[in-house]
Parts: sequence; C-alpha cells; structure tokens
Amino acid sequence: MKRTLFRASVICMILGSWMISSSTFAQSDPTGKKRITSSFAITNATVFTEPGKAGVKSTILIQDGVIAGVGNNLSIPKEAKLIAGDSLFVYAGFIDGASNTGITKPKDPERSENFVSSDPPDEIAGITPSRSAVDQFAMDSKVEELRKGGFTVLQIVPEGGMIAGKAAIMVLGNETSSNLIMENTALAVSFKGSRGMYPGTAAGVMAKFRDVYKNTELTKINSDKYASVPGVKRPDIDDTFMGMKDVIAGSTPVMFSASSELEIRRALKLQKELGFNLILTDLENYEGVIPEMKAAGVKVLIKAEVPDDKAIKAQKEDVTEDVKAQYIRVKESFDKAIAQAGKLEAAGIQFSFTTVGVKAGDIGKSLKTMIDGGLSETGALAALTTNPAAMMGMSRELGTIEKGKMANLVLTTDTLFKEDTQIKHVIADGYLFDYETKAKKKADEAGKATTGTKVAGNWDYTTESPAGSSGGVITIKKDGNEYSGTITYDDPAGSGKATAPIKDIKLDGSSLSFAFDVNAQGMSIVVEISGTIDGNSMDGTMSIGQFGSFPFEATLIPSITAKL
Amino acid sequence: MKKINYFLAALLGLSFSFASAQTPKGSVLIKNATVLTVTKGTLQNTDVLVQDGIIKKVGTNLSAPSGVETVDATGKYLMPGIIDAHSHVGLDVVNEATSPITSEVQMKDVVNPTEIGIYRALAGGVTISHAMHGSANVIGGQNATLKHRWGTKNPNDIIMMDAPRTIKFALGENPTRVHGRGNGIQPRSRMGVEAVIRNGFNEAIQYQKAWADYNSASAQKGNKATSPRYNERLQTLADILDGKIIIHCHSYRADEIYMLINVARDFNITKLVFQHTNEGFKVAPEIAKYTMGASVFADWWAYKFEVYYSTAFNAAILNANGAITSINSDSAELIRHLYHEAAKTQRYGGMTDDESLAMITINPARQLGISELVGSIEEGKQGDLVIFDSHPLSVYTVPQMTFVDGIKYFDIKEDKNDQRLTVSPTEMVEDVYLRQQTERCMQDTEHLFDMAGNLFNQN
Amino acid sequence: MKRLTKTFFAFLIALVPMMAIAQIDGEFIKPRTGKFLLKNATVVTITKGVLTNTSVLVADGMIMEIEASIAANGAEEIDCTGLFIYPGMIDSGTQLGLAEVSSVAETVDFSEIGNFTPNMQALTAVNPNSEAIPVTRVSGVTTVLTVPSGGLFPGTAALINLNGYTPDQMYAGFKAVVMTFPNSGRRGRYDRRSDDDIKKANEKSLKDANEIWENAIAYNSMKKTGAALEFYPEMDQLAKVISKELPLLVQVDAASDIQNALKWLEEKDVNVILSGVAEGWRVADEIAKSGYPVITGPVQELPTRESDRYDTPYTNAGKMAKAGVKVAIRTDEIENVRNLPFHAAFAAAYGLGKEEAWKAVTINPAEIFGVADKYGSVEKGKVANLIVATGDPFETRAQVMHVFIDGYRIPLSNRHIRFYQEFLERSPGLESK
Repeated sequence: MKRTLFRASVICMILGSWMISSSTFAQSDPTGKKRITSSFAITNATVFTEPGKAGVKSTILIQDGVIAGVGNNLSIPKEAKLIAGDSLFVYAGFIDGASNTGITKPKDPERSENFVSSDPPDEIAGITPSRSAVDQFAMDSKVEELRKGGFTVLQIVPEGGMIAGKAAIMVLGNETSSNLIMENTALAVSFKGSRGMYPGTAAGVMAKFRDVYKNTELTKINSDKYASVPGVKRPDIDDTFMGMKDVIAGSTPVMFSASSELEIRRALKLQKELGFNLILTDLENYEGVIPEMKAAGVKVLIKAEVPDDKAIKAQKEDVTEDVKAQYIRVKESFDKAIAQAGKLEAAGIQFSFTTVGVKAGDIGKSLKTMIDGGLSETGALAALTTNPAAMMGMSRELGTIEKGKMANLVLTTDTLFKEDTQIKHVIADGYLFDYETKAKKKADEAGKATTGTKVAGNWDYTTESPAGSSGGVITIKKDGNEYSGTITYDDPAGSGKATAPIKDIKLDGSSLSFAFDVNAQGMSIVVEISGTIDGNSMDGTMSIGQFGSFPFEATLIPSITAKL
Repeated sequence: MKKINYFLAALLGLSFSFASAQTPKGSVLIKNATVLTVTKGTLQNTDVLVQDGIIKKVGTNLSAPSGVETVDATGKYLMPGIIDAHSHVGLDVVNEATSPITSEVQMKDVVNPTEIGIYRALAGGVTISHAMHGSANVIGGQNATLKHRWGTKNPNDIIMMDAPRTIKFALGENPTRVHGRGNGIQPRSRMGVEAVIRNGFNEAIQYQKAWADYNSASAQKGNKATSPRYNERLQTLADILDGKIIIHCHSYRADEIYMLINVARDFNITKLVFQHTNEGFKVAPEIAKYTMGASVFADWWAYKFEVYYSTAFNAAILNANGAITSINSDSAELIRHLYHEAAKTQRYGGMTDDESLAMITINPARQLGISELVGSIEEGKQGDLVIFDSHPLSVYTVPQMTFVDGIKYFDIKEDKNDQRLTVSPTEMVEDVYLRQQTERCMQDTEHLFDMAGNLFNQN
Repeated sequence: MKRLTKTFFAFLIALVPMMAIAQIDGEFIKPRTGKFLLKNATVVTITKGVLTNTSVLVADGMIMEIEASIAANGAEEIDCTGLFIYPGMIDSGTQLGLAEVSSVAETVDFSEIGNFTPNMQALTAVNPNSEAIPVTRVSGVTTVLTVPSGGLFPGTAALINLNGYTPDQMYAGFKAVVMTFPNSGRRGRYDRRSDDDIKKANEKSLKDANEIWENAIAYNSMKKTGAALEFYPEMDQLAKVISKELPLLVQVDAASDIQNALKWLEEKDVNVILSGVAEGWRVADEIAKSGYPVITGPVQELPTRESDRYDTPYTNAGKMAKAGVKVAIRTDEIENVRNLPFHAAFAAAYGLGKEEAWKAVTINPAEIFGVADKYGSVEKGKVANLIVATGDPFETRAQVMHVFIDGYRIPLSNRHIRFYQEFLERSPGLESK
C-alpha cells in the first residue's frame, strides 16, 4: 500500500518536473543548449534488450524520456531525431547500486561547550539517519565521468559516520532537472567509529547500533501508546527516531558497508539479532561467506574493482624457495579474488555493483577481469542492469530495453565486454549524451600537456588515521612561478583549529607535495603531504614523522575568485 | 504452512546451531604416556582415549575402536591443554577507550579466527585463551573465551559457546591515564576509579528498579506507563550484580585490590578474579577469602610505576595463602611458552609440579567458570591435550602435539612453514616487524597519548 | 666467635631463597670480598670440560685454584657437595642500569637527542643502585653489556659486572660504539607507513651514514697528522672506531638489512660485532663468510614475519651456529635480564644444543669482547665470576645458592625476595570485619 502511494507520488513528481521544465524553458534560448526535440529514433542497431538475450537488429523509439517502442517496422514520428545505429550496439543503461560520486561530506557540526566525549550527541557521533544524500549531491565532473562509463542511474549514499543517512535514486539526466527518482531508499550504515568519542571502534559501533535500534523500537511503542491513551507521558522524539522509524518497520532496508568476510559476518549477526532488511555493500573479500549470505537471503553489492596486479607482475624468476612459496600464495590469493564474482553468480546470488571508492575509468577493465575469472557476460550485464533494478524495486521502470521503461541506454561501438569497445552515446532520462570515440592514438597520450593543473585556491581536506578522521582547509596562492599558502589542522593542544604556513611546495605535473610544522608542547614535528591532483580533487598521503602515513583527500572549494 | 514456519524459524536460528553442529570433534587414542592429570596425580605408562571430543577412558592397555587413530606417546608427557586466562590474541578490536564504562561492548563481536597468534599459541600447547577487552576503561567490555580451533574463518567456530560470561574491569594507571589525564573525564585518580564503579552499580540498581516498576505497571489494565530507555550498559552491570557475569579485574596496587574487594562485598559480588595483580601478595589473605583468586604474570615488573614494587614470588605467596592462582600471558609472545612461565614458580617459591601445572590448567579453568569441562585429564572432560617430549616444566621441553576436542591442530612433525590463513593478493614484499609490541592491553588507545611525549621515544 | 657468626650468615644467606625464616632485625648483609673455598662440587668449566668432586679457591677477586682437594688456609669454607659451579653468565645486550621504570620518562636514560651521538657514554649513566641489579644477579647473570639506542650512532656501550657502587667499580673492561644500521622493517604493529615511505626513510638514513663515515675517515687521518681541528666530540669518538681502538656494534635485524650492512662494512677496515640479527638464519652463510661475530636475541620473541614458522626466533641461534657463525645470546631487556638462562635454554632446545648455548652466554661473549683472559670460564687466573647452583642454572627448577662477582660473595637478596619473606605469612593476616 505504502509503495503504490509512493510510486504514485514519484510519478507525479516526474510528470510535475517535466511540466515545470517545459514551462521554465520558454521558447527562446540564447545559449543554444536547449535540445530541439525530446524524441529520438535509433535505427537499425543491434539491440540487447535484456541480459541473456542475443542482440537483434531493431529500432528504438524514445519519447519524453520513455521508451516508446522497440522493434522493426515502428512508425517514427516526424519530430524524432534520427540516430543511425547500423554500427552501434545498444544495452540498457547501467545502474550503480551504491555511489558516492558527486557527494560532498557535510561539515562536522560544532561541538558545544559541555561536550562530553564519552556521551556525545548523536549528530556529532555520526548517528544521523535523518540526513539525505540528496542534500549532499551535486552533478559534478566526477558524475559525468560515471555517465561516460555507461551509468544512467545511481543510488547515491550519504557521507557521514556510522549511520550516515538515507540513500536516494538519481537518474543522470539533464542538469536542469532535479533528477530525483526516489528518496529514502536505504539507510547507509558502516562500522566506522568517530574520532575521539564514543563509539570509536567497530565493537563500540555494534553495541551502539543495537542501542539505537532497540530504543527506536521502544520509542515507537511509547509513541503509539501516547497517540492512543490519554494521560501518557510524552515520548521524546528526536531526529534519530524520525530517521530510524521506517527502518525498524522494515520499509527502508539497511545498507551495511562491509568489505571483508569478518565485517560481512558482523553485519549478518546484527541482522539476525534485530531483524532489519539487509543490503550488504562494498564487498571486496567475500568468497568464504557466500553460503551464509545465500542462507540469509540478503541483497549484495560488490565493489566494481579487482586487486591491483602490480605485485603479480613484479614477481621475479630467480628466487629462493622461500620467496617462491610466497609468490605462489600471493598468486593464489589474487586468482581467487578475481574469481569471486563468478562464484557469487554460481551460487545464484543476484548481486549488483557499487562504485564507492572506485575510479570510474577503471570499471570497464575490472569487469573484464572478473569475466576472465569466471563471471559470465550475462551475469555481468545483469549486475549492471536487471539486478540493481530489482534490488531497488524498480524493475518496472529500469533495467531492460522495453516499451514503457525509462529511456536509459548505452550505445557502444562493439559488444560490451570486448577489448576495445567504446561508449559512443549514453541516453539518460531521454537526454542524449555524445562522446568522442578515438582510435588508439599512443602519441596523443604521450604528448598530453600538464598545463593547467589547478593548484591555487582553497582545498578542503580530510585525512584518516587510526585515531579517526581529521580535516581542515589548505589555502594556496600562486605568486608568479612560486606557490605559498597556509593549512589549518586540528590543534593537538586543545580543541579548535590551528594554522600553519606550508613550505617546500613542489608541483611536478599533477603531483603536488608540501610540508608544514606542527608544534605541541615545545616540540615540533614535520608533516608531509603528497598527492596527485585530478581536476578538483587531490588524492594522496599525509606522513607524520615516525607515526606513519595516512590517506589524504582534498577537494577544491569552488570559488568565483580563484585564479590559476 | 506450519512446516514452512518451522523451517524459517530454523533458518533464523541457523547461525547458532551451525556453529555448535559444525564445531569439529575428534577421536584419538594416546598410548603409553606419562599422564599428568593435574587433579588426580601422575600416571605412568598410561593411555588416554578421546571419543567425539570427550575423554572417554584413562587407563592402561586401551585399544582403539575402529577408525580411531593411535598416537604412540612412549617416553613422552601428556598434560591437559593449557589455558591462558588473559589474552588479546584473535581480536580485531581490543579497547573501546572512549568512555570509562563500556560494559555493553562485546569482544565476541570482533573475534578474528585467522590471526596467526592463535596458531602460535597452539604450538605452545595453549588450547583455550580468554580474549579480553583492554585495560583502558574502568569497566570495559565483555570478554570471549576462545578454543583454538585453528583453520576456520568463522569466528563462531572458535568461541567456546558453553563458557560463562565474563567482563573486564581495570584499576590504576591505565584508566586514569586514558580518561583522566588523556581526556579530562573521571577518573583521574584512584579515588575516581572507585567512584566510577560504585556509581555504575548504583545506577544499574536504579535501572533495574525502573524496569521492574514499568513491567508490573504495564501489566495492569488501562495503565499509562511508558517504558524507560533501554540501556545495555546498565543492564550488563545489573547482570553482574545478579551473579551472571564473572568480573576479571586488571589491577596492580594492593590498596586498589583491597578497594575492589570491599566494593564487591558491599554489592554482594563473589564472582571476582584479579588479573595481573602484581601486589596481590600484599593482600593475599583477602584475595583468598573473598574472591575467585588471581591470575598473574610469572615475572613481569618495573615497566610502570604501579608494578615497581612487585615480586616474582607473587604466585607462590598467593597460592600458599589459599587463593586460586593462575599464570597468564597478556602477550602474544608469552602465550607461546606458558608452560615455561608456570615453571618459574618452581624457581621463585619452590612450587611442586602439580601446583605449577595447576596454574595453567585447572586454576584458570575455575577462574573462567569452565572447570567442569576442561582443565585436567579426567574422564568426561573435553579432549584438550598436549604432548611434550620431556616434562612440561623442564626448560628444555618442546611441545609435540596439541589437541582441541580430540582433533590434532598442531603436530611438530607435520608443521608447515607458512600457516597464514589469508594472504593479501597485492603483497609485494612481506612486512618485517622488528621487536613487536607484545603487550596489547592498551591497543587502540594510541591516539589518546601525548603526541609530543612519544616523539622521541625510540623504543 | 667471628667464624661462628660468619658461617651462621652463610647458612642464612643460603636459605633465603628457599623459605621464609625469621629476619635478623637491623642486620644487613653486604657483598663481601675475601678468601672462599668452594668444596667438592661438579665444576662446569666450559672450556676444559666438567670436573667432578672438585674444589675452587677464590681469593683477591680471582680464581686461584681448581683442584680435587685444596687446603683451606683461613678461607671461608662453603660445602658444595651435590652442587654445580658454572662461570657467571654474560648478557651481551641489555639496557640494565640505564632505566628504572620504562613508562616514567625521567628514569629512562638510554636514548639521547640527535642522530649522531656516538660520544654518549652508557657507562657513566649506569645507576649502580638500580633495583634491577640485585634482582638480576641472583639468577647467575654476573656481567652485562649495557647499550644505548636511538639514532644512527646512539652512543658507546659498556660491559659491566653487576657489583660495585660506582660505574668505574662495575666496569669490566670493554666498550663499543653502537650503530643502528638503517632498517627497512616496521617498528611494530602501529607503524603504518607505506612501503614507499619506509624505503625513502631507509635510503635517507643510509645516505646520512655514508656522509658521516666519509667525514669520520677524513677526520681521523687529519687528526693523525696532528692537524688543528675544531672541537667535534662526535667525530672524535667515531675516529676511535676507524683507528680500531673501539669496535663497532652494529644493530641490524631484517635479512635485507643484514645483507646491506655486510656490503656496507665490507671495504671498511674496522672491528665489527653484529647485534640483534633476528633474521640472521635467512642469511647465515653470508654472515659466516664475513667472519663477524653475532649477538642475537631475545630468543623468546615473536617471529618477524607473519609467514614465519612459529619457532623461528628459537631456532635462529642454532642455525647461525651451524653455519659457522660465532654466536652470543642477549635478552635486550632492562628489568628482566635474569631470564638470560631461559633464553639460552630455548635456543639450546631448538637446535643450538646445551653445550653451545652455555658457550653463548660465557666464553663466546668474553672472546667477542676481548676479555676472555678475565671472564667466560672457570679457569685458574680468571676473575671470580661464579655461580653455584643445585643443578643446571638454565633449568627453572634449579636454585642458585651462591653467586660471586669479582671475587665478592653476593648476598642473594633483593626486593622480590624480601617481599617473599615478609608476605608469605603476613602478620596481621586476614582480619575479618
């Protein structure tokens, strides 16, 4: 009942937004960006309507974001823009089961004067089930990268602590639309503790999760009583309760981030104890728990990534017996890792992919490696289309190329998992996106200039250490050919942030490195940061003397006045 | 319809029965050994038959039923599997050091059965270890008693399901450093430690009352009662007061040991074991009378101020005063030669063979509440056994085979070099660890320490 | 009267570790020198076999006679029937006397600020009154090398006997300049630096070492010609290594680091002692070829790699000895140096063998430190560092009955033993309320 009402409201929303958009866009558009028609006909392409079906030469007709017809002998309206599909192959647009692309982590809320780290308010401790990923999302270049890779629908997950908030389903259509298909589709949960406060470790997180869940159930009982019996004490309703309500009712599933076997088991343990609907995501090492996952009937999202084969390639020939034995074990482990997806398929588990923590450009290669490892092409395609559609409960609108479904398509130059297949067009929400397909030009790659790596500006950074995450702002100014700047960091002497000048700034192509001093109690240590800049983001490591190196990430804060 | 429900119900309860059904149990006949039963004397040239994980017969001239392997132990020594009452091996998280009381945290949630330390302990004859929460908090989390069934990736397979609940308490320098000096929260002094414990128990009593009141009120027709908040932390403290959980308290100074004994008496708690308790010998009569004894180091001292005034004769003095005394490791290194640590009580205090051996078998079993199941070689107990090539208390002894539930998990003749259960697929060059940190009682608390203070500490 | 009192004291001292007896209020037993006759023991000389029913005469701090029968001539007689006499054990690597309570920084003195500080003298920082010293020597460890640690050249180590009230009285005649060879291993579970960072730090360290060494060689040659050089105490000290006045004690553990160290030391004409050498078994042949002696330990330690066999640290010493390396054993301890016999026993049980293990804590370190004329075995003319025990002192069951250091009869008492005496039967005992 709830679902149909919801559906109805969603459809109203879509229709509504269409109506709004068509009236917003008045007849004249001086930018020239407005499309001339919302109807398309892809003629005579090899169409793979669903995983497992052979490609058939057909024509696809799209009108107003919906697939109006698939087949031959369709009557094509005069308004339809024709796309010659003779050399093209068409698949249903890919669906990303869990993505944090385009998501910006919200700022940590200010701690109050009487903040007690052993009993912090939920919001500061990372328990924010009411937050929505929609509020953190913006269609940026990284999202466009994903779309370029064939993804047309994303389930965006919010960033945050152990209970980060609610996911939402977005279509990667035109930037003028809200592109929101559905909200509150899952509750994002992980074993992440918070820095310097309770709960700080996975053990604490598990205990706290049980506490939050059980108290939500109790508050619900008390609320119901308050609503029906006069004279009852008013229950204390807070944000946490409001966010968790639909989870305990079973209508919103919990999407638990669990990359290793042990984490998966821990998530399954909680599910067995508390009884919520469970989706497991971010799976990396999971072969040993396939039977348990199957038995529990949970939905599964695996990382669209395979382990780096650098170590395997670096194995030398002329080595001692000891080292040879090591090599064998590492190779075995590697082979097993890439065969996992195939094993999931063989066990009959309909899994999908997540791109959290994965570079969009590597996805194609990773999938091909999984196929080499035993995953069938049909299984891979299903994981990209029909499986996630089913997981989201949207099989009626997404996942295959059928009349009546959303116009989400991927048009490639050859069959999907072939070596040099490239994506020429992506249609999302009925909007057409064109991409340049190039012949392998090695010279082009080598001659790529490194001019224009944007360094100057304000960078918002975070760094993860065993103590938790930490962050601040780096300000870099360019002075002719020299750079200078400052960095803020969590003051070790107390609360709040300290500022320090940064030194030894070196820029080599897109690699940036610099250092700064932290002073504490009369002593000084040098902190070194180095990383690679890719557009608006920087990825690298922060090294603190002998304490170690920690992952470091920064995003350029968009500013109107930033200059190169 | 009924059938399906039953199946579903079974499915839901599946994980629990999976574990106990799947925990492997074996049979073996060990022949002609010098059997150190610990509780019933030393038997020469004796056989021990284990069937389906239980010691069925201890005697002479036993024969193996069909399908049961025989191990010839002529000239060798057989003793009960060694039990380490204080360990952190096999845990992914040791300290949830963010609050002085974290009784709701469970080590069973974070057990890691693939840690190589478990195998290395087996190679040293240890079949059971008490995987504990660390000593950062006054009242820490609940511990897990583990059986070293090496080779599985399922944590439930190594948790000893029939072991009673235990919880970690800690007194003295560690919690006052982590919370008071490190974080500005009580306790900062030993006075505060007592206050935190008493306050905790009193709050638990109030919590119990609030729920009892609600339960009786809500049973009445037309009542307006609403439930109090659910609080696993206070519920666990209430369980301690109800005698359902054994307290294992990390402590050093005589005065703090005495303090906790008095607190326990005030709240009618008798299930109390003191851990480390380097100055336990100064209050040995009290420990003997009012508690379940002490689990101590063989000879660690002077690494902190509160252990500066220790003695290696601690175990001997406690034992002589009638306290149940065991020797523990609190270290992934020491756990591999607990038989040698126990032997030190012969150098420091002249303990007899049976007294020394009891300290790593039946005594820790009693302190963990599992002495009916393990801790000695007696018919009816679980088949946890170790074979040594010479007397276990000789410094030159070498463990040969270790059995858990009658299954051989370690055999020095068939011991393969690389025992790791998982290997990273991206490992280029294996990590080399120099002088490993072996005391893990303070693991996961590094971030709370004065960064500057640690800067130039090269060790 | 005097003699009676003396034997009474002797009797009490002998009984102290065994059981609690009434204290003699106000009486304090000090280390005493004099003439002692140890009668009718089994003497394990280490170098000249095992002699049964033999007596040993100690006088003027030396072992005067070792014979089947020796006249007393006014010596204090100690009946050693059924007992065993061994040379006092030598621990070739500790921080004994340089720290009192590890967690209290004010009491920790083995590490100084700076990467290049070979001039820091461990000897002068030794606290002769450290509580750990009486705790250690009752186990039969009579002599230790106490070693600074920290930077690239952390200081100069010194060999000390565990008796005396000033460091000079304790000094046993050997010093070495310590070098912490640049290492590529992780310093523990919490060292989470990336592989690249560790490699970079290693390379930088090596670069520093090379620079310093080149300068030291130049400094030394200039000094020899009498050049007027600016005051540079660190270089002065390192010059002593280059001129071979002092050996270089190289702390190195990981296999690849050992190989690097061997290469680095190859063309350098200095006296080298390798120390630590936890992965020495992996490159035992190369070490043997170099001819450098090795001090290894602790034996009761975790394997360096997760993939290592569980008994790797136990078998390390034995494997190196088999390859032809001269091995000495150390505990690398501060307050539990008393466990040296147990470390040696584990090495013995796991491949080194009892005889070699005994040598590893007696004559081998004595030879390595160039003091074999004075220490390391029970031989006439050597310094009287002796243990008298009820059995093999490696065995936990054995009790050490007498200890002699520098010819002083050491009172077998320390705070641990005094606590045993006081608290075995506390008075008042349990007072029920």
